[in-house]
Amino acid sequence: MTITEEFTPLFAPQTVAVVGASTKGNALPNVFIRRIREFGFTGDIYPIHPGATEIDGLPAYKSLADTPKPVDYAYIAVSGAQIPAMLAAAKGHVRFAQVVSSGFGEVEEGKNLQADLADAARAGGMRLLGPNCLGIYTPRGRVTFTEIGPKEVGPVGIVSQSGGLGTDIIRRGLSRGLKFSGLVTVGNCADVTPSDLLEFYIADPQTKVIGMYIETAKDGRRLFNILRNAKAAKPVVILKGGRTQQGLAAAASHTGSLAGDDRVWVALARQTGCMLVDTLDNFIDTLLIFQTLTPRPQRPTQSVVLFGNGGGTSVLATDYYARLNLDVMPFAQSVIDALAELKLPPGTSITNPVDCPVGTLQQEDGRVAEKILDIIYAQGQPEALVMHLNLSAFVGRTKPEVLDNLVAAAMRVQEKHPGKAHFILVLRSDGEPALEARKREFRDKAVTLGVPVYDEMANAGHPLAALASFERFKATRA
Amino acid sequence: MSTTTENPVAAARRAGRNALDESAGKQLLALHGIKVPQSRVATSVADVDTVISGLQMPVVVKVMSPDILHKSDAGGVKINLRSAADVKAAIEDMLKAPKIKGARIEGFLIEEMAPAGHELVIGGLRDPQFGPLVMVGLGGIFVEILKDVSFRLCPISRIDAEEMLAELKGAAILNGARGTKPASLDAIIDVLLKVGGENGLLLQHATDISEADINPLIVSESAAVAVDARFILG
Repeated sequence: MTITEEFTPLFAPQTVAVVGASTKGNALPNVFIRRIREFGFTGDIYPIHPGATEIDGLPAYKSLADTPKPVDYAYIAVSGAQIPAMLAAAKGHVRFAQVVSSGFGEVEEGKNLQADLADAARAGGMRLLGPNCLGIYTPRGRVTFTEIGPKEVGPVGIVSQSGGLGTDIIRRGLSRGLKFSGLVTVGNCADVTPSDLLEFYIADPQTKVIGMYIETAKDGRRLFNILRNAKAAKPVVILKGGRTQQGLAAAASHTGSLAGDDRVWVALARQTGCMLVDTLDNFIDTLLIFQTLTPRPQRPTQSVVLFGNGGGTSVLATDYYARLNLDVMPFAQSVIDALAELKLPPGTSITNPVDCPVGTLQQEDGRVAEKILDIIYAQGQPEALVMHLNLSAFVGRTKPEVLDNLVAAAMRVQEKHPGKAHFILVLRSDGEPALEARKREFRDKAVTLGVPVYDEMANAGHPLAALASFERFKATRA
Repeated sequence: MSTTTENPVAAARRAGRNALDESAGKQLLALHGIKVPQSRVATSVADVDTVISGLQMPVVVKVMSPDILHKSDAGGVKINLRSAADVKAAIEDMLKAPKIKGARIEGFLIEEMAPAGHELVIGGLRDPQFGPLVMVGLGGIFVEILKDVSFRLCPISRIDAEEMLAELKGAAILNGARGTKPASLDAIIDVLLKVGGENGLLLQHATDISEADINPLIVSESAAVAVDARFILG
């Protein structure tokens, strides 16, 4: 059986069993039933209950072995001690069981119970997810543990050792335009580990970029071998918890085993091309760039053009990008000459960074941006272009459609020069609600068209540097 | 040095030791094709003339004793000896040193001195989750104070070895700085691959070696010689 075949019942289950739903309809598993129905799950749902005949309008069954059809995915949220016997009794009738309950290996007194749980899953012939996790979100299978999450299947595959962080990734990712091929929370990893899901996502045609939140890698050597053998076929972004001594102590109490040392992770990244990030924001920013842009190993990103309003912002970004090993170099004279012919108003800087005050950008109601970008694309040979608009600076000075025209111009230029340069949009604002609403509207439109949008120049710099390092790795190694 | 052909790791395991001594460590390195100084063991002053005949002067003499951990501190290392007479005098001096007088003495290691060069450290460590790691750093203060080292998971490729050296903050020193001669990067990479590569020492002995330390590795313009080595078993 291939890894894709093995994990298909998890990502696209036909039958879902739910253990722990109450007849009163108010337990977490009842909420799970409601959520997957709302999410559009059309397969069979089997509540498991020792006494009830019906739960939430569905016929209930006494045990996991009693359901009419075999169970592809069982969601289990009851007190821990009774679960091992339940799993052992399933006798090959269940493919994946996810134990969301806690009180296992993450606490000293639960270590034996976790060993029993893993043994029982093996005896019952199933793969076990968890314990101590929250669930799965799989739009292709219409199953989710979250209140919200896009129904559309996307290219981002996630595995998270933390359930809460998994929820954050979906919610924040949603507002940033991320679309997922799946998200699995694996908690204490008594059986299925992040390496297993990495293997699945690498093989899964739906997945284009993989994100992992890892606290401990008990099977670190296997993780290394999978990444090494994959030869950077897909970008893998790792958000590693417990990389410092203090973080390590927190991780040990969280998941119950010791994490590898930081230097191992740095080595792993250098040797396999996977990318390490330190914060949730950076994780989402990096996933977004790989969702929207296609890595270009034949011409790795090195030179970046900055174009937008805000002189100080351009200078700071030039410094910041230089520290990230990205070059913001002045244009060749021919490009400067071509831009000079546009006869832009005084105060406009037409070398790289291209600094255009609002007064310049509002020319022709914003359509001037298209002319500037055309020249840069045609003659400037940028490997990446970051267009930044400080939305606040337009307030009260221009007609509202100027911003629309600027963003539209940027989008049109992409269509005119496909694959010429990685294009990134930075929309800066002061947090004023009306401005935020407009920003959100622009962002949704842009991400749909394959343009990643960031809040600040620095936020865009890190993912761009990650893209560059991935391209360089592929160019030299893969 | 032991004359048996048994692998020094297996021999130490059989003898119930939890580390390889300097002589066994160098024997292991030599088995993996890593250059170590030519050496002979003299059991007493009377042996010196016979054992020394095949060695290039100058030599260094080190006392061999299970009771002495820090040979230099005990006065058990004499360097830059240029004749058999020098060597004999050095041994006689050692035998009078307070920390050596009462110790059990297995002999005296007489070893050719490595030509001058850059001092590096190449190490190994077995991570409980990821298995063997290989490390390289510049010797002395660079390792001890600045912690200017680079790690990789075994096995490393040639590109990995090159990148390990390139990412050291002191990398430029190896190219020759402030009037020093450059170090042979090829020779360092060769040792790194023999220690941490596909069929390297660390992977071959992954179940036995928990820590390794080649310190110093002396690297000249043309060669790298492992002057001291320590392996912890377990």
